[in-house]
Amino acid sequence: MTEVILILLVIFGTLSLQFKKLLNAVICLAIFSLLSSLLFYYLHAPDVAIAEAAVGAGVATVLFVVIISKTRKEEK
Amino acid sequence: MDLNPLVLDIVIFALTGISVISMVRVIIGPTTEDRLIGLNLVVAQIVGIMVVVAVKFNRSIYLDVALVYAILGFVSILAIARYTGGKEVQK
Repeated sequence: MTEVILILLVIFGTLSLQFKKLLNAVICLAIFSLLSSLLFYYLHAPDVAIAEAAVGAGVATVLFVVIISKTRKEEK
Repeated sequence: MDLNPLVLDIVIFALTGISVISMVRVIIGPTTEDRLIGLNLVVAQIVGIMVVVAVKFNRSIYLDVALVYAILGFVSILAIARYTGGKEVQK
């Protein structure tokens, strides 16, 4: 189970660098933080998983979306 | 809790396979809205995986992770949806 999560982490980390539209990259980073939270959960560290879930889903994604709405929408 | 552990393992592997299939929609989705619906689906299935694994480990601290993610994942999906469709609603 841990190997599947690690392979998916590599896929989504690479994919968030490849997208030209920045909102798609933010969605891939949300799935990246969700998968890393699940990885900490499987490695028997639920307190780290709670911190990762709170930061990754609550703060970072909302902050990225607000900043993208105030600046340029696409990568040059 | 005297559930059969084999049943829990089968449920965990089935939910993992379903969520991997749902991630394909996030990867190949043509528009941003398709990827947003795929994110919503993946979050729901992984919260389900967390609950089933908490039953398997038989500890109550593992259930809090699923609770925190169920509350805060909603906030992030709401922010992205407000950004993609908010301008047309205001006009």
